[in-house]
Amino acid sequence: MNGLETRRVSTRILLWIVLIAIVVLYGFPFIYMLLTSLKTPVETIAVPAQVFPSLWTLENYVSALTRDGVLSSFINSVVTAVLSTLISLVLAVPAAYAITRYRTRLGRVFILVALVTRMVPAIVVGAPMIGIFHSLGISDTSLALAIADTTISLPLSIWLMASFFEAVPDELEEAAKIDGASRLGALWRVVIPVTSGGIAVTAIFAFLASWNDFLFALLLTAVRAQTTPIVIANLQTQFGLDWGTMTALAVLYSIPVILLTFVLQRHIVAGLTLGAVKG
Amino acid sequence: MMLPAALFLAIFVGWPLVQFVSNSFFDISPIAGGPRTFIGFDNYVAAFQSADFWSAAWHTVVYTVIVVTLEFVIGLAVALLFSALGDSSRFLRTIFLYPLMIAPIVAGLLWKFLLIDNFGIVNELLKRVGILQSTDQIQWLSDPNIALFSVALPDIWLTTSFITLVLFAGLQNVPGDILEAARIDGARYPTLIFRIVIPLLRPVIAVALIVRGIDAARVFDVILIQTNGGPQGSTETMSLLIYRTLVRFGEPGLASAMGTIYLIVMMAVAIFAVFAIWRPGSDAR
Repeated sequence: MNGLETRRVSTRILLWIVLIAIVVLYGFPFIYMLLTSLKTPVETIAVPAQVFPSLWTLENYVSALTRDGVLSSFINSVVTAVLSTLISLVLAVPAAYAITRYRTRLGRVFILVALVTRMVPAIVVGAPMIGIFHSLGISDTSLALAIADTTISLPLSIWLMASFFEAVPDELEEAAKIDGASRLGALWRVVIPVTSGGIAVTAIFAFLASWNDFLFALLLTAVRAQTTPIVIANLQTQFGLDWGTMTALAVLYSIPVILLTFVLQRHIVAGLTLGAVKG
Repeated sequence: MMLPAALFLAIFVGWPLVQFVSNSFFDISPIAGGPRTFIGFDNYVAAFQSADFWSAAWHTVVYTVIVVTLEFVIGLAVALLFSALGDSSRFLRTIFLYPLMIAPIVAGLLWKFLLIDNFGIVNELLKRVGILQSTDQIQWLSDPNIALFSVALPDIWLTTSFITLVLFAGLQNVPGDILEAARIDGARYPTLIFRIVIPLLRPVIAVALIVRGIDAARVFDVILIQTNGGPQGSTETMSLLIYRTLVRFGEPGLASAMGTIYLIVMMAVAIFAVFAIWRPGSDAR
């Protein structure tokens, strides 16, 4: 029971009505997109607009999935996001561990610098990256895009992992060391298993940053490594206003993250609130 | 063990940043391998003299203020509702989480579809409840007077949840006995909120607003996809102007100067915000 919780029944009923109204309003855009994707292409732009389809059909999904480049863009999105998540974790876990365990001035400076990079607009680093990836010989590859996406997620990953490591008592590692484990051994066998929930949270946010990225994909991919957000955006210019296909593709692209949210909701809430609330 | 991450950030953030800033002192041909001439601060002079630059700066400020204000008001209201209803609101909290996961590009297109004249559902529903006479009465995205507000809607839709969640978590940590004591002293609900809860939550509120403010000031995807800066440039923010100057007009030097100014201002505002609202170390954290 929280101090702010109200106990009067009449107030509670009123607040429930208000809250449900807000949530329905809030959920409506997505529900409407789902309903639109199940209409016939003609009905999507019919005047006056109707909320529910008069004829339920998967026509838009068929045309979305059979369009050139759509399937390969899905594969690219998955490959890029997974790669970026891995790079982010491999770099963030040791860095965050060192920052929390050695507690040097350098570590504090590092975490501040990492946070400052969050303020840099993607367009500023994105443009010179084109040249850098070209000279590395990885232009228009999922690896290049994954690296670019990692610049977004890495500072947050370090920040999150540092908070999780902070919560692990030193005694746990001391005990492991007395049992003869090296510092790295203790990290690998004791600290990482204890913080696996935190690693999951960090992985989700790294994955989402890459999955939902648009600007880097726009600047750094041409054809081979193109991800689905680019394909979705292109639908509007190439084919005028193909809203049916667009909504179907958007729903398909949102399904993996919606499932992810459903399965891992508790972790996501923890991750979102952790950094901010702890200050 | 910090070295790999530090190297990564140095190579893929630091080095591009150095290149970007140094580009701002050159006149660069847009053709790859074309000539570069050092021109000192000429690009900066050109940026400050450009009307587009000032209007984009203004749009960025207005957009950020609209987004952060609305998100904060709605976010706090919903967080208080969740708190008032306690644990039984858990299911609705989960639903509230979903927009956060959706790609900004999808949200932008979706809202464009919702707000479009004639066959957009928003105007249709407004007409059905009698607020509008016809479905093209409000031209959300093609009326330059309101377009900057309309393009902000998907951003607000996507991330109000973030503010709500953060504030809700903060509200859980407000000690119940303080509230109880205030109630016994006869404090009414608004007094409780404005005099006790909000001041106690200040560090949490500061972090949430700073994070959202920085993101809103960098807005790109949702505007590009909805209006591409139009109509009549009324929704062109700094990120869009830099992109347009760079890619369409092929003026990397000028774009870099604009971006550098933008970056410096952002950092200054963020640092000011951190010290002014958050006051790290001075409050109970």
